[in-house]
Amino acid sequence: MHYLAFWQSALVLAAVPLVQWLWLRRSFGVSGRYTALVDELRSPRSAEDEPEMNEAELIAAMRAATAEAFGESVLEAPAAPDPAAPVVLRAADPAYMHWLFFGGIAAGGLVSALARGNWTPTFGLHSELFARMFGASPVLGPLVLVGGGVLVGFGTRMAGGCTSGHGLCGVSQFQRGSLLATLAFFGTGVVTSFALRGLL
Amino acid sequence: MKAALSTLAVGLLFGLGLSCIGFSSWDEVHRMFVFADLRMLLAFMLAVVVLVPATAAWKRWMPGRVKFRTRPTHKGTLLGGALFGVGWALSGACPAIALVQVGEGQLAALLTLGGIFAGNWLYAAVQQRYLHWDTGSCIDE
Repeated sequence: MHYLAFWQSALVLAAVPLVQWLWLRRSFGVSGRYTALVDELRSPRSAEDEPEMNEAELIAAMRAATAEAFGESVLEAPAAPDPAAPVVLRAADPAYMHWLFFGGIAAGGLVSALARGNWTPTFGLHSELFARMFGASPVLGPLVLVGGGVLVGFGTRMAGGCTSGHGLCGVSQFQRGSLLATLAFFGTGVVTSFALRGLL
Repeated sequence: MKAALSTLAVGLLFGLGLSCIGFSSWDEVHRMFVFADLRMLLAFMLAVVVLVPATAAWKRWMPGRVKFRTRPTHKGTLLGGALFGVGWALSGACPAIALVQVGEGQLAALLTLGGIFAGNWLYAAVQQRYLHWDTGSCIDE
């Protein structure tokens, strides 16, 4: 199996957050999209929660109401819009956007597998080591994957980020929480993997 | 429509890249964690080295275009990270990778994917019932 060289891989990993900032204008992270989808399922957002007007419309409406109640004289001249100011009333992405992002990631895997002529879908992992460690019983492998997945979902939500948000972006901004979380998940990843060697 | 296509495109680029790097291979991830193959580890470190000045330049020249938030540090930052690392080493998947694996035809990763959703849900329930920490999130909102 031929993978990209380390420096090519690094450029890919660094490029994706930059492309996301450029095209989507939002910080980069994957586990937060799981959180948004889960929260949507736990308590669906109703149409009443959606902001009905954007920030400019809201300010205009509030000024009109103020003028009506207290007279035009109390209103100051409207401040010039600050182009650098972040938009305050940015509605959260609807759930289908997160599904689209997830679908895109899976499609990327599909394209990659097809391009290398390696698309042979099986109900397993394309892994020799995983099969040697957990393949002895038909229930062990699936249990390890479900259990591992639960730990990933639980842990990333607790830590407030995963490899992309904490590991790539947070660490690049020297954020204390991201440095701690990244040290923690890399550390236990190493310890767990060395422990798994005992199964070989 | 434009936002939807852009979102799809970024996801596609990300999934394709991760797959070509080898991040979606259980064996490659395992070899990274036991330092048997330093390729992906070096890739990650070099990516951070590239992103440090790139992020600083972005904040300097395009302020306000992306809302960067400092994530809160709390008791769960270390513990959550530690649990995630164990899960990653077991399943060979971080949250994006489970999706890449499914796309590649490693359909057992559907179990991992279900587990991630279940774990996220479970934390939401535990947090609401017992903990009440502000964990932050890696996306706006």
